[in-house]
Amino acid sequence: MATKTPKVQAPVLEGANDVRLKGGRWWGKVGWKHVLAVFIIAYAIFPLLYVLSASLSPGGTLTGSARLFSEISLVNYSELMDGRFPKWMLNSLVVSSASAIGTVVMGAAAAYAFSRFRFSGRRGGLTALLIIQMFPQMLAFVAIFLLLLTLGDVFPQLGIGSHLALIAVYLGGALGANTFLMYGFFNTIPRDLDEAAKIDGATHAQIFWGMIMRLVTPILAVVGLLSFVSTYGEFILARIVLNRPDTYTLAVGLYVWASDERNAPWSLFAAGAVIAAIPIIALFIYLQKYIVAGLTAGSVKG
Amino acid sequence: MSVTTEAPKRVEEPRLSHARDISRPGFIVKLILMALINALGLYGILAAWAQDSMGVVAFLVVALIAANWVYFSKRAVPAKYLYPGLVFLAVYQLYVMGNTAFVAFTNYGDGHNSTKAAAIEQILKTSDRRIDGSSTYPVAVVGQGADLGFAVVRDGEVQLGTMDEPLAPVAGEVDGDRVAAVEGWEILSIAEIQQQQNEVLGLRVSLSEEPADGWLRTDNGSLAYVARSTLSYDEAADTFTNDEGKVFSADPDRGLFAAEDGEELVPGWRVLVGFENFAKMFTDSRLSGPFFQILVWTFAFAILSVATTFALGLFIAVIFNDPLVKGRRFYRAMFILPYAFPGFLAALVWKGMLNKEFGIINETLLGGADINWLGDGNLAKLAILGVNLWLGFPYMFLITTGALQSIPGELHEAGVMDGAGPWRRFRSITFPLLLVSVAPLLIASFAFNFNNFSLIYMLTGGGPNFPGAPVVIGETDILISMVYAVAFESGVKQYGLASALSILIFVMVGAISWLGFRQTRKLEEIL
Amino acid sequence: MRRSILLATTAGLALTLAACGGDATTDETTSAAPEETGTSAPAAAGTLTVWVDETRIDAFNNLSEEFVAETGVSLDVVQKPSGDIRPDFVAQAPTGEGPDLVVGAHDWVGEFVANGVVQPVELGDKMGDFTEAAVNGFMYDGQLYGVPYSIENIALVRNNALATETPATFDELIAAKPAEAEYPILIQQGDAGDAYHLYPIQTSFGAPVFNTDDTGSYTSEIGMGGDAGAAFANYLVTMADAGAVNASIGGDQAKQAFLDGKSPYIITGPWWTGDFVDAGLDISVLPVPSAGGEPSAPFVGVQGIYLSSQSENALLANQFLDWVATPDVQFKLYEFAGRTPAMTEAADQVDDEILAGFGEAGAQGLPMPAIPEMGSVWSFWGQTQINIINGDVDDPAAAWNTMIENIEAAF
Repeated sequence: MATKTPKVQAPVLEGANDVRLKGGRWWGKVGWKHVLAVFIIAYAIFPLLYVLSASLSPGGTLTGSARLFSEISLVNYSELMDGRFPKWMLNSLVVSSASAIGTVVMGAAAAYAFSRFRFSGRRGGLTALLIIQMFPQMLAFVAIFLLLLTLGDVFPQLGIGSHLALIAVYLGGALGANTFLMYGFFNTIPRDLDEAAKIDGATHAQIFWGMIMRLVTPILAVVGLLSFVSTYGEFILARIVLNRPDTYTLAVGLYVWASDERNAPWSLFAAGAVIAAIPIIALFIYLQKYIVAGLTAGSVKG
Repeated sequence: MSVTTEAPKRVEEPRLSHARDISRPGFIVKLILMALINALGLYGILAAWAQDSMGVVAFLVVALIAANWVYFSKRAVPAKYLYPGLVFLAVYQLYVMGNTAFVAFTNYGDGHNSTKAAAIEQILKTSDRRIDGSSTYPVAVVGQGADLGFAVVRDGEVQLGTMDEPLAPVAGEVDGDRVAAVEGWEILSIAEIQQQQNEVLGLRVSLSEEPADGWLRTDNGSLAYVARSTLSYDEAADTFTNDEGKVFSADPDRGLFAAEDGEELVPGWRVLVGFENFAKMFTDSRLSGPFFQILVWTFAFAILSVATTFALGLFIAVIFNDPLVKGRRFYRAMFILPYAFPGFLAALVWKGMLNKEFGIINETLLGGADINWLGDGNLAKLAILGVNLWLGFPYMFLITTGALQSIPGELHEAGVMDGAGPWRRFRSITFPLLLVSVAPLLIASFAFNFNNFSLIYMLTGGGPNFPGAPVVIGETDILISMVYAVAFESGVKQYGLASALSILIFVMVGAISWLGFRQTRKLEEIL
Repeated sequence: MRRSILLATTAGLALTLAACGGDATTDETTSAAPEETGTSAPAAAGTLTVWVDETRIDAFNNLSEEFVAETGVSLDVVQKPSGDIRPDFVAQAPTGEGPDLVVGAHDWVGEFVANGVVQPVELGDKMGDFTEAAVNGFMYDGQLYGVPYSIENIALVRNNALATETPATFDELIAAKPAEAEYPILIQQGDAGDAYHLYPIQTSFGAPVFNTDDTGSYTSEIGMGGDAGAAFANYLVTMADAGAVNASIGGDQAKQAFLDGKSPYIITGPWWTGDFVDAGLDISVLPVPSAGGEPSAPFVGVQGIYLSSQSENALLANQFLDWVATPDVQFKLYEFAGRTPAMTEAADQVDDEILAGFGEAGAQGLPMPAIPEMGSVWSFWGQTQINIINGDVDDPAAAWNTMIENIEAAF
């Protein structure tokens, strides 16, 4: 199936275009894409409708019956707000935002180093970082627990039960695939820009913070989003670090609800999952303009 | 792109390197940050020293010295950027890997949970048990100076004993079956008992000169019972002996006390077992039998997952990269919805939807079909791939969208000017460039799916199990879930074995990925 | 280089001194665990840490209020996810970070003792005040390792709108399926099987999972082999053909189907009867009819409180356990948790028809085995049953024997 790229590949603003396509040509070039989008959305959303339906029904099971939207009531949502759920939401936002920012900053710094400097172990280092992250995390829980116990004796804020400790654990994974993603993007920024700045007297730090970071905002936004989402849904490690229900993140709280063998509060769980998805969607919508901005012709040509 | 020489070298060398030029504002910031870090580090060293936590001390010392050198030295420029990330990596990843590697050489698991000293203490504790049918006495814990004793009413009179002296009558007052007062001794209050609770709990007052009669002990400070120990510990010989004279000697290779006839004492302790755990993968027939089959499926699953999610994600990204399509922002937000929900939720929901009788896929979408999605071997594999596709395509969509932005527009223009059609442009310009920047991520995604334990576990639990197999594994089990089943679900948790098998898996997937990276580097060089 | 480093270290030292001046700060999180040592206050004081899972958190929060009112000792009730509470306790107790007490089911005792993380509890003469099943559940190697507080078991729950009389044998029950019902009975399975819910039927064939010796405790000899086991294995096929068991019907589906009135009977426990009553169903609880001639005997699950062997407050903890072992507190726990108390005197005071029905159904029941060998049984057991139910095996009796061989090989 032919993929279409428009003849003029210099996007300036979304949708704005000198050529207004009409009628048959519109359908041929663009219209079918809308139809396709509807199908894809249906595919993406369908299981989530289930969750939505379960969240709107007052009692019962998650997937016990095949009927969708048999009852509509908002009682689950109000019940959610009465409990610990808002606190969990706050915890999640704090932990995930901090992890995302830390990952982006440290990852970008590392990507800059790999991209701009030549030092021994550069090529091997990048590969090593990727491979280290492939270690099966399944058994990490024993080691992490003991590590946090030891650290917690020295720095209480980094011990069991603290959000800072959890953020630190997540930052352990900052240098990895995300760094590589940024490295690739950094490589597309021509060195001429660096050279020009240096001739003007800028230091490497000034080049990094002042110039490069502004040019790579799309990839920073992507990595920020990816990091946010992965820590947001992570519950295996969070479950070990956070031992009190007040400190749980959303992922841990929902998991605890779902893991009750006999009386899992499925309706509450579904409602919680629906609300939990909102920040991610909101974040994505906000970051979209950075992700798709692309390099303008001006900055590329220097 | 031009190739640069050593980046920090300049045409003229300023007199003072920016690393130490105090007049620049950036330097002040750096100074403050470094001061904070040094303060924290020193505090940590002192605190760890006080806790006798030498590992932490050593690490902090090395890290602090390295930090100061990196940030104040003129050289080591790349290190300045890499250092914080590497510190976190070292502490939270490398240390964890090292710990797992260490555990792999031990027999840590059920029955070998702690140290030898703890095991001995526990055995002594549980062997000190009540003599069946003996009496219980309401007891008063009494103290005289630093000594502790028990006072009970026995044979109608007050009797008192201490650790060194067996029970003997003393003068005192009786109140029913309780002791009201004892001459020369003070009856302790509950609070006082709690303050010395370890001594009170450890106090044993012999009933008489005959040790076989047992001793009095109390667990709660108000009721005493007669007990005796069924095992005695000989420290010099490192053995336990029971009433009948059976001797249990310490077996340092297995971490237990065992007698000659094979009877073992519980609990044992953790010992190093060398390469035993690693060898089990090959020597234990329960593991090596299905191993090959599971290996093949693991590779197939990982490769197909990456291929399908990448294909769909790329397809959608390219199609919707078109600025003529209005409402792209909305569409994109909708497309990534599967990514916005926690993975285990998706697995649970899909599991319900694929239910043979009640699931909505069979009942509604396929009009009452009876397809056994999760019960048939091949269909279950298809179901796993399908669910993984649903879960994974948004991620691929995101990264390919981001990567597509980085392809310079003029390359496309050049292609158009050369008369290349859209498909040709895609195949020869877009796709190769995309692959170069995205290939290592595909490899990382391969590795992630290779170890994608949670999806398999939550969706099929390993899938339709092989009937009659000696280990409970099934057709959709991947290596890591097999490890989990073997190490944890066969009744006795074996962390040591699980660690060793995880390391073997890591070596395998790491080697393959490394080869893959070398290939993509060659690709990079060609372009 | 030296000058700046000197500068930085001086600044650092200054800050360090400032930091050391104050004490180490507490967590940034809301509630840090309070200190556990006893104080020198006149009344008994101190705190005990108790781990409970989410099904018991309310009951124990209420209980802690009563305890602190009576004795001044507070309970720090920590909620842990039910799947984690066991492995976490075993992993954390040796490090000293574990709780003083753990609330859970009796069949954990084997694992806990094997790992040396619990210590025996001495109740003295009070042991006789408990139901025999309750005490036996927590006994291991001749010693009591916890204080039981409630017992539960599964039974036959009948929707009186769809059926009013229950026959004496299982065959008749299946045959008496009303026309409007889709299933004669609902017995949850799931794709990994559920041997627990099939156990009453299995025992009615005389095939208990392990044989017991004369004291009533389990030996490590499998009792579900031989002819009895083969008969049960073959009966599974009959049940599957009649629609009584189905791998597609897991817990969720069974509960929903019963609520929707698709079957007059369901085998389940007291955890769902509350939901059924709330949904407006009129239910009765009865023993499961026998399928093989012997009385049906479900597993009895005993809930109780374990004492950690690493507890630094063993004295206080034992006082708490003593307090729980009184009829008043056992009855209170019934009021909070809704399960039959383990102490006979308290159980007699309970006036609840539904719980009485469960009690009758479980009268012949034995506690789930807590011996270490039991851990090797579950997965093979459920899996083989599902294979037979699905029709994946030609000879159920032979598959059953293979299962027993595999289990014994795993010991």
